[in-house]
Amino acid sequence: MAAWLVRRLAASIAIVWAVVTLTFVIVHLAHGSPCGEPDGRPIAPEVCADLTRRFGLDRPLQVQYVKYLGALLRGDLGESLSLHRPVADALAEALPNTFTLALTALILDFALGLALGVYQAARERRFGDIALGNAALFVNSMPTFWLGLVLLLVFGERLHWFPVGGPRDLVSCPRVDSLLCLGDALWHLTLPALTLGLVGAAATARYQRAAMLEVVRQDFVRTARAKGLPERRVLLVHALRNALLPLITLFGLTFPYLLTGAVLVETVFAWPGMGHLAVNAILQRDYPIVTAAALVASVMVVLGNLLADALYGVADPRIRLRAT
Amino acid sequence: MATTRPSSRLTAAALAGLLLVGACTRKGGCTGDYCGTLVIATGGEPDVLLPAVSDRSITRDVTDQLFLKLADLGPSGNTIGDEDFQPLLAERWEWDTPTTLVFHLDPRARWQDGRAVTAADVAFTYDIYTDSLVSSPFRPSLRHIAAVTTRDSLTVVFRFRQRFPEMFYAAVYHMRILPSHLLREVPRSQWRSAAFGRAPVGDGPYRFVAWRAGESLELAADSTFFLGRPHLRRLIWRFTADQQVAVTQLIAHDADAVEVLVTPDNRDRARADTQLAMYPYKGAAYGYVGFNFAAPGDTTKPHMLFGDRELRRALVMAVDRGSVLHNVFGDMAKVPPGPMSQLFWIWDPETRELAHDSARAARSLTRLGWVDSDGDGIRDRDGHPLAFRLLVPTTSAVRRQYARFLQEQFRTMGIDVQLDEVDFSVFNERARAGRFDALINTWNTDPTPSSGIPESWTRAGFGRSNYGRYENPAFERLVDRAVASAASRDEAKRTWRAAIEILNQDAPAIFLFATENYAAVHKRIVDVRIRPDSWLALVRTWRIPADRLTDRDRVER
Repeated sequence: MAAWLVRRLAASIAIVWAVVTLTFVIVHLAHGSPCGEPDGRPIAPEVCADLTRRFGLDRPLQVQYVKYLGALLRGDLGESLSLHRPVADALAEALPNTFTLALTALILDFALGLALGVYQAARERRFGDIALGNAALFVNSMPTFWLGLVLLLVFGERLHWFPVGGPRDLVSCPRVDSLLCLGDALWHLTLPALTLGLVGAAATARYQRAAMLEVVRQDFVRTARAKGLPERRVLLVHALRNALLPLITLFGLTFPYLLTGAVLVETVFAWPGMGHLAVNAILQRDYPIVTAAALVASVMVVLGNLLADALYGVADPRIRLRAT
Repeated sequence: MATTRPSSRLTAAALAGLLLVGACTRKGGCTGDYCGTLVIATGGEPDVLLPAVSDRSITRDVTDQLFLKLADLGPSGNTIGDEDFQPLLAERWEWDTPTTLVFHLDPRARWQDGRAVTAADVAFTYDIYTDSLVSSPFRPSLRHIAAVTTRDSLTVVFRFRQRFPEMFYAAVYHMRILPSHLLREVPRSQWRSAAFGRAPVGDGPYRFVAWRAGESLELAADSTFFLGRPHLRRLIWRFTADQQVAVTQLIAHDADAVEVLVTPDNRDRARADTQLAMYPYKGAAYGYVGFNFAAPGDTTKPHMLFGDRELRRALVMAVDRGSVLHNVFGDMAKVPPGPMSQLFWIWDPETRELAHDSARAARSLTRLGWVDSDGDGIRDRDGHPLAFRLLVPTTSAVRRQYARFLQEQFRTMGIDVQLDEVDFSVFNERARAGRFDALINTWNTDPTPSSGIPESWTRAGFGRSNYGRYENPAFERLVDRAVASAASRDEAKRTWRAAIEILNQDAPAIFLFATENYAAVHKRIVDVRIRPDSWLALVRTWRIPADRLTDRDRVER
């Protein structure tokens, strides 16, 4: 187990380093410069030259890279070119918002997907299965941003049931310091989390249905039924646990999906998270933020996969974590 | 009888509870004339709340509530002389000599930490704005001021290098006075990242409360403000990805105001909402197709096509600017009579320019030898097709729309235009490096033509914002005269018009649009006055009558 963990950690660090290096090289080689004119006002060349000099952007790329890696090893992510503040501070403000959104969406995705998948499998080829299957396919076919726009226009702009943006009511609840404000935060979270979670849940349901159907045809399920166990117990205890393995793989893969999906959802719902930060940084060629966002994303993906690997062992005792 | 499963009931109850909580608002007790919160949805976010180092319009909107100028533009928008300016930090001023301006500060002015605002703060501010280490974007605008010194703690003296009509404007318009006692120790090269810039202490009508990056910024009214307590208790800017999202927040009543509705469609949406009032005002932006006079990427050689004045003139005449404008903006913009926004006081529809005349344009092209010799629909000469590439930023829906309409209009004239659609950062880089044939650019202008026009359309702008490298000594002589020596506003206006007419005849660009802005504000807010150059400049006088306060307006924290 320890050897496996060491190997996986070493591989994870290598992956993160590769992602950071690639991102660093690509964003620096990409056309464009951080001397933007976001307001359509001319920027003085002196100001631009000063920015370039101050951030060492006039030095050779390899020199910048070595300097960046050295700082990174000391835990210094640098200073944002457009926000004029430490990158770590900007990330520290954005990350909790993205985590809140992504975790809520993840819970929604798996809770709903699992329940629907089991329900469909239990009613294979009956009306409920077919109707839900088609509905899931419909939702799964929707681009995330489009679903977000539809929910926003219908439930936000038309019906006024939910707020159309931001994580809180800025007037009444700038901080979550009461039950009312907790409710307000959940109310604001509903549409973005639904947008992100629903599309994922539709896919999860299809995976789960297929896995359940494969399992319910196996001998041990037949035996459980023959023993006279209630159908609910057969499905939820005996079959479900064995049908979870594909879901765990999916769980590992869902992290990057949620992160990339969050970029669009955060833009549509004015959600101040990593996606919002990264998109602005890319548009403004804010290299330190872009590289740090890639670093965070790769760490999360690697951690997600590590967690999924560990969960295999929990879900199926036949699987042992080995160093080989 | 149909029954509902417990889980369904639970879900329904949870949803109902959520909606109920959402509909609830914390009750507050604020009553009277000084309550209410204005939530402003905006498509941008300040970079730093230090006016000396940021010229973003959203930074200006916020810092104008925190830091005072010595005086500010009056409702007329007149930038010449000093008679139309209104006192702010300076209670009065006088001219000691034609080039010496003396300001007397209002003794009641206080920084929000209790210290008095002094003449030393003004001298310090000038020093900061003009220090090359600070690298203020406003530094070039202060180049005519030789020195700023203090006479006593409340008297400050500006000495100018020369006389010119907009001396007073130059002294007061760009500088927001900063607290020297709080900023003196900040190293000049690190002003942009100074901690003060994220939690400033000012002397304006509002004081800083909180800035949640990517989300919002909040100011609270300073009840002791010496020029009168602001009526609205709080101002909150809510940041969105773009102005379209900001408008959606307004329509959904998540915000009370937006600066611009941008498109006719948005204006119609806002108009349909009975709770919103609209306020039209002159826009500060103008857009144009700029021709590159130099070969792309090589300023030593002339451009193959656009070095030819007659060809440029034919291209200008080929475009029906009015119809394209109508398709893109409806009635929310005007075709400008030159390189100017509607904000400029030199705006004059009578200014002579090249009118749309496709027949004349076609004749010109034929006379120049550009004919369709091979029948492929594109004119050519000596085996070269009449073709060029048009650089457009993908981030601007308006400019992309324009590009397509223009491409079609040019195609009917036998001119092949290919679009180079690139992201905004690449657009800027290529524009600055001159790596383009033609581009669609937009400038946001100051209220005066004296800074923007020389910078973008004369030799002084080479390597700066005169991307196309247009120059004409006759035009520049007139611009110099208008900027430096016009004796009156009328004379300046006449001189400017003559200069613009020369430029129009040279056709360095096709001037496409000058925006007309529509702000939208919730109807419970009254006394809304908008100054076109800075739409929130007068927000401290906006108010919500006591009988129109909502529960949210009464919230106290």
